[in-house]
Amino acid sequence: MSIEPTNLTAQLHHRAAGNPPSTLPDSAISNCFPDLELDFRNVWRRLLEGIVLHEASGFVVSAETPNERFAGRFLISVADFPTRMELRNLEGEAAGSAFMEWSNALADVVALHSGRPVPCQFRDPAAPDADPETVALIVRPMFVHSQATDGPTAAIRDELVQPGELTQSLCSPWQNDYQECGCYYWAASRPDYVNVEHSATGARGDKWLARSRRLEPYEDVPDITHEELFREWESLLRFIVGGRDAE
Amino acid sequence: MPSELLAQSAPLSADAHLVDSGDGLHLLVPNGNRLYAVDAELHARIDRLLRAGDETGLTALLEDVGVDAPRYVDDHPPHEPPVRALWLAVAQKCNLGCSYCYAEGGSFGGAATSMALQTALASVDLLFSDVHAADRVNLSFLGGEPLLNRPVIHAATQRAQQIAGERGAIVTFSITTNGTQLTEDDGDFFEENGFAVTVSLDGPAAVHDRLRPFRSGRGSYDQVIARVLPLLERQHRMQVSARVTVTPQNLELKETLDTFVELGFHSVGFSPLLRAPTGQGELDAAGLETMLDEMVRCGAEFERRVITGERYPFANASNAMREIHRGTHRPYPCGAGAGYFGVSAEGELAACHRFVGDEEGALGDLAGGVDRDRQARWLSERHVHRQEPCRSCWARYMCGGGCHHEVIARDRPACGYIRGWLHWCIGAYARLSRHRPDYFAG
Repeated sequence: MSIEPTNLTAQLHHRAAGNPPSTLPDSAISNCFPDLELDFRNVWRRLLEGIVLHEASGFVVSAETPNERFAGRFLISVADFPTRMELRNLEGEAAGSAFMEWSNALADVVALHSGRPVPCQFRDPAAPDADPETVALIVRPMFVHSQATDGPTAAIRDELVQPGELTQSLCSPWQNDYQECGCYYWAASRPDYVNVEHSATGARGDKWLARSRRLEPYEDVPDITHEELFREWESLLRFIVGGRDAE
Repeated sequence: MPSELLAQSAPLSADAHLVDSGDGLHLLVPNGNRLYAVDAELHARIDRLLRAGDETGLTALLEDVGVDAPRYVDDHPPHEPPVRALWLAVAQKCNLGCSYCYAEGGSFGGAATSMALQTALASVDLLFSDVHAADRVNLSFLGGEPLLNRPVIHAATQRAQQIAGERGAIVTFSITTNGTQLTEDDGDFFEENGFAVTVSLDGPAAVHDRLRPFRSGRGSYDQVIARVLPLLERQHRMQVSARVTVTPQNLELKETLDTFVELGFHSVGFSPLLRAPTGQGELDAAGLETMLDEMVRCGAEFERRVITGERYPFANASNAMREIHRGTHRPYPCGAGAGYFGVSAEGELAACHRFVGDEEGALGDLAGGVDRDRQARWLSERHVHRQEPCRSCWARYMCGGGCHHEVIARDRPACGYIRGWLHWCIGAYARLSRHRPDYFAG
């Protein structure tokens, strides 16, 4: 017996032979930053014609003529929408800025300006005090246009991603992501900071990515590096087996 | 052909429906309106289970082949959806005397009235009451004959454009007109504002004149066409479509379709007359069977033209292709009473333009806004899971239970027609998606 999906809802529900349950939308993990099935961040890298961005920052990886000079700079706004948010500490003082996830930063740009040039501002890290430079770049439409519906389909346009790019930066939970998503992200399986003892001078406790199990003030504990995690995750992460640290 | 289609499209199960497209066998799974190509063996097994009424066996087989899925449509109505479309009955009066008119000569059974400017502007304010950047809303004008109250249309449009501009929202405009009052200036105005203009036309001259005369009895076709032609030539941002109400007196749909396609309408669509206040012109079972036959004739020409890449804007078919391709599945036939309301000349909110002046679909007024209690009751009661015999029909998430206005007044006399048409469209979709996949890919 054979059965093949024909229309879009059937295709979306289709689980190809050999694929795991997580390939269906209703059973997928679908955390898209960066995710276990595809890394949606990569869709944004070529949103602006003529430049390629890093998937998780405004860093310009490469730029075409006549805008080569923007390679190595940071994109800080598109059509007056900032790519970074100003941060403030609990006292309300300025505390630098942080990059916004692309969907938050640029969803309105896609909705309002697809196919049209918009002003884009770039800052040069080599000249942090210089004024940002502005250039007009065209926003690529994100979705394939359907003749039948005269509107966008759910398919992402070929120009936005090259083969392999959607899966080039997937999660690797025991290695990269323990380091990347350190701040309370893995709270259930890997609490950030435990056995905490408070005192007048501050707190001491076990930080989960510490090199040792000695109680240390939170700030002073040296983190395990990315490279160490990739090389020695089995011993460094110290899985708890039978109620004890596994050595 | 129609009686054959009626038999093939009969509902045997709520969970599966089979379609033989002529060059392939297909399974429609109503849960998500998913369409699959199946081989002869699977087709035969499903067919046996359907004919035996073996729901348990059918469920097991659908699980075996991997098409079981969580329910795409649950029992819950949307909770207080935002207003997204309003139809303003700007002129509850009309210069035509169509015997079947749902608005009973334009006045909905009351005195002839026009919407005051303040009422129209208050409607626009309601439309934008929960609108933010990049949201889309639609403002429509109809009557009666809306062009009998042109200044209010202009003022409401300008107000809507202004607010949309301030908010960064997107507003689209529609008008449904009998065409007798159209002017060149209207063309400028509609073009400038990107209107979707729908002209009610019931067929070629002799047919149209019989169904849509002036109140004096004189035919209106020549005047309508003379006034519409300049607009047809100027369509760029505006789209001018023809809408045909099908009664026992104008069942020659193919000739009508070809006439209007030839004239250059953006699209041409047909709706069966199922409910008229006077009862005149309603289609009975035999009429609906004839209409189905005619729709399939039009559809076959549509299919042929799509394959050869020619323009043939038969709206019923192109809309069906789009919805079947997407697998659109909905628990309601339209957004009436959810995000979409009709506004009477007096400022009362109705579930849609057809419920103006009808207590059955009353859902608040401009002064007090949407009556959320009545709306919740409406959406709960109108959900297709609460409709019979829809709950056991494979087409329920395609038709959504049928037009509320017609169903409430006349129950569901057209289910066979609707299923027959959808069954044919599924087959056409299966053929076109094989021969012209580019038509769907964009």
